[in-house]
Amino acid sequence: MARKCGLVLMLMWAAALPVQAELLIRITEGVESAIPLAVVPFKEAGNLPAGDKLSEIVRTDLTLSGEFSALAPEKMLSLPSRGDEVFFRDWRLLGQRYVLVGEVRQLGDRASVRFELFDVNSEERILGETAGAPLNNLRSLAHHISDKVYEAITGVPGVFSTRLAYVTLESVSGRPLYKLQISDVDGQRSRVRLESDEPILSPAWSPDGRQLAYVSFETGRPAVYVHELASGQRSRIASFPGLNSAPAWSPDGRSLLLTLSKDGNAEIYKMDVASRSLTRLTEHWSIDTEGSWTADGEGLFFTSDRSGGPQIYYKESERADPRRITFGSRYNARPRPSADGKFVYYVHQRDGAFHIARTNLETEDETVLTRTQLDESPSVSPNGRMLIYATKQGGQSVLTVISSDGGASYTLPASEGDVREPAWSPIIR
Amino acid sequence: MKGHERDFTSTGQPPWKSPIAFSVLLHGALILVALVGWHWSTPTDDIAPRSIAATLVVQQPRAPQPQAQPRPDPEQVRRQQERQRRETEQREAEQRAAEQRAAEQAERRRQEQQRREREQQQAAAEQERRRQAAAEEAARRKAAAEAEAQARRQAEDERRRQQEAARAAEERRRQAEERARQERVERERQEVEARRQEQERRLREQQLEALAEQANREQAEAQQRQAQAAAAARAHEQQMLSDRDRYHLLIKDRLNQAWYRPPSATEGMVARLRITLLPTGELSSVQLIKSSGNTAFDNSALSAVRSISRYPLPDDRDTFERYFRQFTIEFTPLELR
Amino acid sequence: MSISMQKKAFAMVLSLGLVAGCSSTGETVQDDGYGTDVSAVDQAGGSTVYGGADDGGVSSSGLTEAEREEARMAAERAAEAAKRSVTTFYFDFDTSEIKPAAREVLIAHARYLAANPGQQVRLEGHADERGTKEYNLALGERRANAVQRFLIVNGATRGQLETVSYGEEKPEVMGSSESSWAQNRRVELIFK
Repeated sequence: MARKCGLVLMLMWAAALPVQAELLIRITEGVESAIPLAVVPFKEAGNLPAGDKLSEIVRTDLTLSGEFSALAPEKMLSLPSRGDEVFFRDWRLLGQRYVLVGEVRQLGDRASVRFELFDVNSEERILGETAGAPLNNLRSLAHHISDKVYEAITGVPGVFSTRLAYVTLESVSGRPLYKLQISDVDGQRSRVRLESDEPILSPAWSPDGRQLAYVSFETGRPAVYVHELASGQRSRIASFPGLNSAPAWSPDGRSLLLTLSKDGNAEIYKMDVASRSLTRLTEHWSIDTEGSWTADGEGLFFTSDRSGGPQIYYKESERADPRRITFGSRYNARPRPSADGKFVYYVHQRDGAFHIARTNLETEDETVLTRTQLDESPSVSPNGRMLIYATKQGGQSVLTVISSDGGASYTLPASEGDVREPAWSPIIR
Repeated sequence: MKGHERDFTSTGQPPWKSPIAFSVLLHGALILVALVGWHWSTPTDDIAPRSIAATLVVQQPRAPQPQAQPRPDPEQVRRQQERQRRETEQREAEQRAAEQRAAEQAERRRQEQQRREREQQQAAAEQERRRQAAAEEAARRKAAAEAEAQARRQAEDERRRQQEAARAAEERRRQAEERARQERVERERQEVEARRQEQERRLREQQLEALAEQANREQAEAQQRQAQAAAAARAHEQQMLSDRDRYHLLIKDRLNQAWYRPPSATEGMVARLRITLLPTGELSSVQLIKSSGNTAFDNSALSAVRSISRYPLPDDRDTFERYFRQFTIEFTPLELR
Repeated sequence: MSISMQKKAFAMVLSLGLVAGCSSTGETVQDDGYGTDVSAVDQAGGSTVYGGADDGGVSSSGLTEAEREEARMAAERAAEAAKRSVTTFYFDFDTSEIKPAAREVLIAHARYLAANPGQQVRLEGHADERGTKEYNLALGERRANAVQRFLIVNGATRGQLETVSYGEEKPEVMGSSESSWAQNRRVELIFK
């Protein structure tokens, strides 16, 4: 008995040793590259439309986000559709971190999908859900799955169910034709909301995603309109002499920032949408335009050339004095703050080319995000992870999406003619 | 032999019914009678053998019985009886005198006899006593033997019963085994296809595994080379890095490369994990001892730790036990852009 | 500055512009690589802006003294006739400064407007495709306003003049070269 106690004590002492000297390894970097993820083709039951394969749309969504690299189905060792069919070892060998499996069934005129997401290394299910949609709306269902998967892994809401507004320009029998369109974020399912042979500019989503404000020259002069998407009803809210441009909604949706030149030159005003009353927010002989509220609705970014060329300025409140934000080059314009208030994105000229850049508002570090040459109209996704902008490709204007830190990019499928003025919708619940 | 048998069966008679056998038997009988008659006549007179012989030949042609007895003639008997009576009277006289002597002698003999008898009785009693003792001993022995035999029988029975039970059990086991075997065979047959597919899958797995291992090896080697080069460079400024520091760095490098930092990570977030390794470098366990408060962040850290199939470890077992058997990893992002 | 001096200077610049225009088509020019005059010359490079009125100048290379005099006289006559047929005025990148070369023509327009108070003119301001659309709208407006002020200063009345900016929406020339951009940074006078 005494010997046993002695042994136990010795063991305890031995066990205590490594704790005393315990090593601490601190990991502070990590990798920024895309997370390897396998979206296994969903099992299908019933009579489903041949075109829209849910798992393919999900795979495309996640890949386009730039944050995931999806394994090609032909490289998969097995095609499980349920959790108990997943051999985690196989997926580890394939270097995958996550596996998404699922099954979709046709039930009358609807489809129902059950999907499960697994962490390959912990072998734990981190997501499991059943969802349904009409058969003619499978894309929405797929985007919903993408959103869920994205959020489960990254901790940030997905934006695959959000929409894009943009303007296209075609030449129809020698005359220009402008179209205001809305599509999914992958460019699919576009619908024309307005056609004009005069320019359409600056679409801006209301915070609830139900309305678009934009500039149209349909009368021969610029005017700002608010367009209710569901009904198609619209109203011209600003057609003052001179400029009527750059509409931007306040986060509460009650007011719009507008650039008007009715008082002599371009200044920024706040218009109460209900009463149409105006409050002037800038007062300078230079150009002041492209106003944009911070996410909390307190501060205001805008472009002014009061220093001799366009630069980004910030007003902490409506009455505060503007503070210049950008100094890195001669041309910085059209600020768009991130939802978390940490960054401001803008068009930035460097070495004769125009890029999208961002400045960290805490550190004041500026990062150029794009390598293309004639970039404009940056619009940040509502989760702050992606950014869409317009650029030129082969003489044609196209829309490109990049991750908001300048990583992966993809160009939306080209339509005939130019595509410009993208605006990323809020997350529509 | 066959011929003999045939002869035998063709006559249909037992051998003694044959004439030769008969004459042999008859001669045998005559010799026997002559011998017996001679024996009888010897103590009495000489006449008897002639008549006996004649009688025998005529009256008993077929008397094989050796016990057949010639009946004496009544006259002869009477004379003989007379002679016997006289002889008896004479003998009685002599006898009386003799008896007198005999009586005295008898009395002596009787006494002697009695004495002897007493002695004999005593001896007998002694013998009886001994016999009884022996008998008792024998009885006891017998009882013991019987008891023993009984026990042996019971044991034997028991043994037989057990053997029987064992045999039955054996039989049942055998049947069960047979059933199991048949089921197994059936199962195996059903599983043949699945197994073949499994083997194919394994084969592909093994190929991938080999590739992955090679990649791991190469990566580990490259990292080791780097770490070694770095250590050599620093050797001039400070002492050689200890195993602990070197492998600390190697593990740190591997984890930095394995960690997909989630976009929701913010500077100052901390997820702390305690990991336990096997001496082979494989992960034995990982435990989240401090959550960052952000599930995606915690998961990314756990996933990074678990994704490393083999941790780089020093060869020295003591170093391993002391520093790398169990240690803490902290995931905390810095320098976010 | 007397009118004849102005005419001479205008003709000189015009001639140089035509020469430069013939030889520099498609050349990429940095915004700030040249002085203002040379830039102005480049504005006209390879374009049809001065076309029609300037046929005499096309062959004017390798000039002798006599030829130069003749050309000067011809240009003066052509300029007199052509002044008001020039209705498009060009600008440097991100500026709304009226080039000296354009002043003579604008003065001629102002005089004409002063003489014809019923004449209405629409001033359309434009920018090249570089930079942002909304800023370019404002920039186009500022260019139109600059021309409007110049015309008013030189005799036109405000009521005759209407400004509108299209920003970069209505380029004169398609393409993403300096020469295209130079022709798109402009104010057009539309007489009604």
